[in-house]
Amino acid sequence: MIGESVPGRRYDAALHLLDRQIVDPDGRLVAKVDELELADRPDGRLVVTALLTGPGALGPRVGGRIGHWTVAIWRRLRSEPEPEPGRIDVADVVSIDSAVHVGRRRRAVGVDGLERWMHDNVVSRIPGAGHDPE
Amino acid sequence: MKRLFAVALGILTAIGGFVDIGDMVTNALVGSRFGLSLAWVVVTGVIGICVFAEMSGRVAAISGRPTFDLVRERLGPRVGFANLVASMAVTLLTFIAEIGGVALALELASSVNYLLWIPLAGFAVWLVLWRVKFSLMENVFGLLGLSLIVFAVAVWQLGPDWSTLWNDASRPSVPASEDAPTYFYYAVALFGAAMTPYEVFFFSSGGVEERWGPRDLTIMRTNVLVGFPLGGVLSVAIAASTALVFLPVGVQVDTLGQVGLPVAVSLGKVGLAVALIGFFAATFGAACETGLSVGYSISQYFGWQWGKYVRPREAARFHVVLLLATITGIAVLLTTVDPVKVTEYSVVFSAVALPLTYFPILIVANDPDYMGEKVNGRVANALGSVYLVLVLAAALAAIPLMILTKAGQ
Repeated sequence: MIGESVPGRRYDAALHLLDRQIVDPDGRLVAKVDELELADRPDGRLVVTALLTGPGALGPRVGGRIGHWTVAIWRRLRSEPEPEPGRIDVADVVSIDSAVHVGRRRRAVGVDGLERWMHDNVVSRIPGAGHDPE
Repeated sequence: MKRLFAVALGILTAIGGFVDIGDMVTNALVGSRFGLSLAWVVVTGVIGICVFAEMSGRVAAISGRPTFDLVRERLGPRVGFANLVASMAVTLLTFIAEIGGVALALELASSVNYLLWIPLAGFAVWLVLWRVKFSLMENVFGLLGLSLIVFAVAVWQLGPDWSTLWNDASRPSVPASEDAPTYFYYAVALFGAAMTPYEVFFFSSGGVEERWGPRDLTIMRTNVLVGFPLGGVLSVAIAASTALVFLPVGVQVDTLGQVGLPVAVSLGKVGLAVALIGFFAATFGAACETGLSVGYSISQYFGWQWGKYVRPREAARFHVVLLLATITGIAVLLTTVDPVKVTEYSVVFSAVALPLTYFPILIVANDPDYMGEKVNGRVANALGSVYLVLVLAAALAAIPLMILTKAGQ
């Protein structure tokens, strides 16, 4: 339940949030909701505090050997000793329909390390990367 | 007038886009061995692809999300991942077969060995994926693909006994020269060729690329319900032409050159030239569609930015996937594996993967959370359920039949 940021309607966190596409104000695709960060409220209910994204969040949900390896490889590729999954605070969520719309731009959210690496090291080095398709 | 033009263009591209290397090779081979006794499978497959393409197009138009973006939400990340891997493997195999088909078409036109054409064909496909606008790509190859109509003209020119042809097609039976397992093996292959999974990945993602909304539902339905069946007619025409030329002399079609031979026999050099343009356009267009489908599916599972409606640098991971898929395709083909064999296996493995593709579409198209009032009606659900049973039967039978018949020998 994330009633705080989207008033007027109750959402089922598993049904309406998990695995849903996150979209920024320009309509650009940010990530999937790979996992949810939950917190205990004083009245004993759980509340969603953030959307977690990336291999570090998805791996444990896929489970098994593949999930384990996903997390292990992701940890290796990160520079920090204890990497955390990408995190989007629930306060940034603007609305929910067939996608989860957030109020900040993709770049500002900053959850796409692999995208930036591919952008800097591969794609932007190929001629025509910055042109609209013709 | 402009709207009418859009409808006509959509239908024409759907006809040209329906036929790919799998349809051409499988139909030609089946025609040369079984005549038109398997035409019922093409009809069944075309109805099936219409039912599910309409559903996935409707999902894209109403929810603004391609079908496979939604599949992970309903199947969960685990099953969704298994689904992704299986359908990806099949689509990649089809992609390899299509690039091989482009090279074979160029070999037929130039007499230069296809292996020399493969790097060039692969590079050209990648260049289109990298730079060319989605709608231009679809329209050019769809319209050029229409030159395959030359096969229908060839059948007419060969002057067949129409009542015999109709009898073969309408009263199907296993020909005396073949056994039942082989007959059903090729039935499964034809079914897989007509309902290839990438067609729906591509169709629903393409709908999002072209920004379909609820207003475009009618155009989308017309494209599917008129375009795909006419594409099916082209497929049957290819089978009929090889049935007329090869069946009486007992020759089995094994190469792309043989697929075009009936056209050369009946219409001469000019006919053959038109057929070659058709081969090239159909395989090149399908190579673009399958290549994109690989990128679409992976990106949509992980939530990456995808599509040709943004600049390549804005969808970096998507374009890296396209690049890697193309390199893989070129590398596999340069091992000198026979592209026609790759095609034959790709349609059978397509049949195996069919339930993974079509079951989730049926689920999502029935979900009022995404679809509101536009959920499946009774007809769509009835047809969808019947086809789910057919698709499951084909998938389960495919591998045992392949082993039993030594892949149709």
